[in-house]
Amino acid sequence: MNIGRIQAIFVKDYKEFTRNYAVSTMVLLPLVLAFLYNKMGITGVETYFLPINLGFTAVTTFVQCCLIAEEKEKNTLRGLMLSPATLGDILIGKGLLVFIVSAVTIALTIFLSGYEPANLLLLSIGLIVSIIFYLGLGTLCGLFTKSIVEASVFILPVMVVFSFGPLALTIAEQYPILKIAEWLPSAQIVELAYKLEGLYTLMDVTVPILVIIAWSIAAWILTAMIYKKRMVD
Amino acid sequence: MTSVIEVQHLKKSFQSENALEDVSFTIEKGEIFGFLGPSGSGKTTTIKILTAQLEETGGSAYVLGKPAKEMKKSSNRNRFGILTDNSGLYTRLSIEENLLLYSKLYSLPTSAVKEALDFVNLYSERKKKVSQLSKGMIQRVTLARSIMHKPELLFLDEPTSALDPVNTTHIYNGLRKLNEAGTTIFLTTHDMSEAESLCDRIAFLHNGRIKAIGTPQELKKRFSNDTITVELKDGSSHYIENRTHEANKLYEWMKNEQIEKIYTNEPTLGDIFMQLTGSDLI
Ligand SMILES: Nc1ncnc2c1ncn2[C@@H]1O[C@H](COP(=O)(O)OP(=O)(O)OP(=O)(O)O)[C@@H](O)[C@H]1O
Ligand SMILES: [Mg+2]
Repeated sequence: MNIGRIQAIFVKDYKEFTRNYAVSTMVLLPLVLAFLYNKMGITGVETYFLPINLGFTAVTTFVQCCLIAEEKEKNTLRGLMLSPATLGDILIGKGLLVFIVSAVTIALTIFLSGYEPANLLLLSIGLIVSIIFYLGLGTLCGLFTKSIVEASVFILPVMVVFSFGPLALTIAEQYPILKIAEWLPSAQIVELAYKLEGLYTLMDVTVPILVIIAWSIAAWILTAMIYKKRMVD
Repeated sequence: MTSVIEVQHLKKSFQSENALEDVSFTIEKGEIFGFLGPSGSGKTTTIKILTAQLEETGGSAYVLGKPAKEMKKSSNRNRFGILTDNSGLYTRLSIEENLLLYSKLYSLPTSAVKEALDFVNLYSERKKKVSQLSKGMIQRVTLARSIMHKPELLFLDEPTSALDPVNTTHIYNGLRKLNEAGTTIFLTTHDMSEAESLCDRIAFLHNGRIKAIGTPQELKKRFSNDTITVELKDGSSHYIENRTHEANKLYEWMKNEQIEKIYTNEPTLGDIFMQLTGSDLI
């Protein structure tokens, strides 16, 4: 791993991102939603997490997916792969920008929705591992698709499942199969936040965080594997 | 041995067809080697195997003394440069910003960017966004990118296909200088004059097989048909074979001071290719 290379890729992505309005304006989506909910006076942990979970998919996953898909579409990823940059340099360099953008967006979303978490530190840990998971998911989607157009279609079902999965729990009484949705990272983060509002045990906090970490590890291992495959035509 | 590239019986098949049937050649250090062949003959496939972007189906390929597969390693990628027809650039960035990124990826000083821009004659236009460039300019930027780290070995896949004569000449001169400074160059083209003016040795590739290999002079000699053309002062032109019974004609013309010009009929590289394959180079 080489800090100089990671930084160079980050700076390049920053310049491209700020000049690519179609993608960069996506950050407004969760912010506007959070602001509206707040104005309408809707509160409650579940509600606060609607814009937050939307932020994870619409900003972290979608933007990352678009950035990677564009590198593939324009054949620039091949150039990075043929340079001395290693797998680590490229994946970290390419993830760093969206990680920072996501962290800022989620922080602003929380602020705009008027949500005041009972334990900001523990919740932040959960949010950070969530961002790492959604980043891996976005990278994976980007590696699977060949162009931005394809990526924006491919991403829709992914967004629905991961963003709105927790909503399925509300009808899980009739359809027990939907119970599995509670293991989604988006449901686990709500679970964590919910527990943090009351009296909680160590288990209450560690289980959701560990579940999200497991999702992250799976996503990134898969990403590294697909990436290595893509290096050879 | 100082072979920079050593390829033995290389074979590559895709699902439906064989792109390379049987390709063998070696390139020595310091050579400019030209791979000539029509579209679809397997030039790009060969380069992709040599740079570890494809895996061969059979045979062996050694690059810089190592199996071509090892060109995947970060430390080996520093040692070669590559330009292909699908080398991509970041379109929202300027020429300079694109090269700056690569100078960092190769751990070069910033001054390397200016040198590379001068190489392709684009310094004065460095602030232009890539999305606003012509095809020829894009080709020059990707060329600049591929030579920026002064690699030991340079792969150029049709490097001048979109260039005008002025820039082509400029780039030929730059490539010769780079070669004199020690860079071995492997270049593919279907432009015969390019191969002739730039390459020390060339190979003709056709349907995934090498049909002939040698210096341009050697090839021309090997395929010359041993005839001469004589132009007389009366404007007529005579094509005669280099044999005794034709010698009398020559003797008569010379005696009568009728001869304007005599020259040997050297085949062009295109003629040789035609003779070998029965098809045109393009
Ligand atoms: N990824 C691939 N999948 C299937 N077939 C391929 C693939 N890449 C190349 N081929 C086939 O292999 C053959 C050789 O292709 P290659 O690109 O090496 O030709 P080339 O000599 O570079 O031609 P050109 O001058 O047009 O660039 C062609 O018939 C092509 O259709
Ligand atoms: Mg080609």
